[in-house]
Amino acid sequence: MTEYLRMSGVYWGITAMDLTGSLTRMDRESILEFMRHCQHDCGGIGASQGHDPHLLYTLSAVQILTLFDNLNTIDLEKVVEYIRSLQQKDGSFAGDKWGEVDTRFSFCAVATLALLGRLDAIRMEEAVTFVLSCMNFDGGFGCRPGSESHAGQVYCCVGFLTIVGRLHLVNADLLGWWLCERQLPSGGLNGRPEKLPDVCYSWWVLASLRMLGRLCWIDSKRLRTFILACQDEETGGFADRPGDVVDLFHTLFGLAGLSLLGETQLKPVNPVLCLPEETIQRLGLHLQLLN
Amino acid sequence: MHGRVKVKTSAEQAETKRKEREKKLKLYQVASAAAASKRANGEFDKEALEITQNILEQNPDIASLWNFRREILLFWEKDRQEEVQEVLSLELPFLESCLRVNPKSYGAWHHRAWVLVHAKHTDWAKELRLCGAFLQKDERNFHCWDHRRFVVQHAGIPDTDELEYTSQLISTNFSNYSAWHYRSCLLPRIYPDPEQKGRVAEDQLLKEYELAQNAFFTDPSDQSAWFYHRWLLGRAEIEDAITCVYVSKPLQTVLVSFSKPVNLRNEEDEAVLFVDSRPFPSKWQVPDKRSTFSHVWVCKLPPGLLEGETLQHCLHVSWKDGRLKKECLLYPGSKESWCQDSATDQKLFSLELSIEKSSVLRAEMDSCRQLLDLEPENKWCLLTCILLSRVLDPLGHASKTLTWFKKLLAVDPLRTGYYKDLRSKYQVEDGLLCMEYAETRVLHLARKELTSLFHLDLMVLVTHLDVSGNCLHVLPLAMSCLQCLQVLHADDNEIEDIEGVRNLPVLQDVCLKNNRLAHLSQLQPLTSCCRLVSVELGGNLVENLPDFYTHLHELLTHTRPV
Repeated sequence: MTEYLRMSGVYWGITAMDLTGSLTRMDRESILEFMRHCQHDCGGIGASQGHDPHLLYTLSAVQILTLFDNLNTIDLEKVVEYIRSLQQKDGSFAGDKWGEVDTRFSFCAVATLALLGRLDAIRMEEAVTFVLSCMNFDGGFGCRPGSESHAGQVYCCVGFLTIVGRLHLVNADLLGWWLCERQLPSGGLNGRPEKLPDVCYSWWVLASLRMLGRLCWIDSKRLRTFILACQDEETGGFADRPGDVVDLFHTLFGLAGLSLLGETQLKPVNPVLCLPEETIQRLGLHLQLLN
Repeated sequence: MHGRVKVKTSAEQAETKRKEREKKLKLYQVASAAAASKRANGEFDKEALEITQNILEQNPDIASLWNFRREILLFWEKDRQEEVQEVLSLELPFLESCLRVNPKSYGAWHHRAWVLVHAKHTDWAKELRLCGAFLQKDERNFHCWDHRRFVVQHAGIPDTDELEYTSQLISTNFSNYSAWHYRSCLLPRIYPDPEQKGRVAEDQLLKEYELAQNAFFTDPSDQSAWFYHRWLLGRAEIEDAITCVYVSKPLQTVLVSFSKPVNLRNEEDEAVLFVDSRPFPSKWQVPDKRSTFSHVWVCKLPPGLLEGETLQHCLHVSWKDGRLKKECLLYPGSKESWCQDSATDQKLFSLELSIEKSSVLRAEMDSCRQLLDLEPENKWCLLTCILLSRVLDPLGHASKTLTWFKKLLAVDPLRTGYYKDLRSKYQVEDGLLCMEYAETRVLHLARKELTSLFHLDLMVLVTHLDVSGNCLHVLPLAMSCLQCLQVLHADDNEIEDIEGVRNLPVLQDVCLKNNRLAHLSQLQPLTSCCRLVSVELGGNLVENLPDFYTHLHELLTHTRPV
């Protein structure tokens, strides 16, 4: 019942495994075989066989193949063509041919192209202008112009601007304040004012602060305690909050958060692309963060 | 999986659950397979709509099924237009029920917007009422807020009506952050400040101060109004400007700094240097030799261009097709010259205040201080007192500000790192103002509990910088824009990274005693400062390395480190 997001599920799972140094325990061949059936004629990739192509799963697929160092499993030229075809007049990106526009898709587009070394394929100035038009009074970013700031969206837009080398366009002090105010007395982070804490924001907020060079604006020790309290003792997975049902999504972002906090049992994670740093280095990708 | 509590179950219960799940899965699989085969065979019929509806009712996040429904409707559009309109009108109550169960489904909201646009007789007023009803249930649902803005646009509803809507919401619940956010978008559109892009005209601004103040006096611990208030106190977007032109005869260099980072290599942003009215084919470089965008750019002049002891030279920089320019005169006999904007005149660290606005802000400061008497531990109030004192008179409130910071650190330890950095920023600003008043190029920032360095781009003319006795960990890359720096004192910090002490052409003395430099490689940046005379490194771990001084000499062959 989860095949409508399976490609992302695989990405969450194997990245979590790689961060813990256990990637070799996954059945690489069957994953690659699965992926061969998910690319469509238009170049886009679906969540699984029989599901329509979308930028969300196209990025997941390229992340997986990057981890496996096996990008040629799919037709990359077509992937680039697909992404290019989804850029709108105003520089924004639709998630698929049905036209839903969201800054998440701007991130998916440039993150995928960066991993493929093809950032030249889109109209960059317009893409930047659109993302900046989604910047708000609190320094954060929303889905579309006028949408309220949300930590997940902030991650996408700050990540986008990092990838395209325009991080100086963010008001880092103002946004950093909004981000560090996401930390609650439990140590956990929420995604918007007055909301409950959730382990996945350990990633969206923390990675954004890391890109802005302001990781020290939250209390790392307290956040670490919160994330660890979300780990389920029976299964080892992580839930959104202590005592809830675990899933792969929260397991990856819990681990990735711990890695950013300097957990030595895990590989260092790249705050922009949520892949191990060693993978990003292997690609020779240079992403300039603020310091 | 959000907010689903894990429940301990007995083996029996678990078995029942498993069976239930299996049954559900079976039904889902059968329905999915049926939908997939219909789609594959091009059976775009009513049954396909029914099957997909049954699945989507259970899970509206299966994007491909919404896509299939749209394909069917588009297929019918050719010769079954009436039926299409009928289905579209039925789609709305169906979507409404989906959204009631799952109000955060991206797919369902997007499909709803698609339906509204494709239906011939959309009742936008009704749709706006539906948004209102959904927001009444969850006033923070950002999907619904976005949908509302989409409806407003199509229905041609004036911004003033929407502003009134946010006023209503805020008056019933001050902590509706979404409504405050919406206000911040609407106000600059309805009441634009004629001079400052993106800001609100003053008379409306004063009303907004009052609204925010009402809110935080009613509930001083509610963050929404405080965030909004900080925005009201904010500044307009920084305009493009050349802030400084500096020329050095011995170095044969011209330096230009800008109000924000720019990329002069970009053709549209090209800057032209005129030397004595003749355009000079300049090759601009960034001081750190790495960044693409930078506040500061330098250009080497060929030897001989500024020759002649008795001649006056004019250095003129023209930018943005001549709309922005600045020039400086190098008088006969002088070695250097500059023209720099004043931080005080430009109100770099305070606000441009009219009499009305400053009296309102002073009154507000008084009431915030009263509130602070009642709620001495309220961090929002403490921070706002600090912010108000900064926009009104930074130096006049300097010592009070430090007391407030001390209190803030005590009452809100989670954000220690933020408050310390903010205090550092204000200390640097005060230091820069004092230096300007004293008309010197010596910047004193020693023993100010600095955790980070800010505004390095405003220090291009500084010759002596003292940051000793602080809590700095890094001398950041941006420090390389201090192109006039001769003496750097940074003793007694926690510095483990000096990457910004790089390409400083006239730097002679560097004091880095009692820091955390432990490896020779950390000293690498110094090798790019070719006028170094002395480097002091006592009290760093690196000093204990075997043959340290020999290695240091090898590293800095042109220097005589003490």
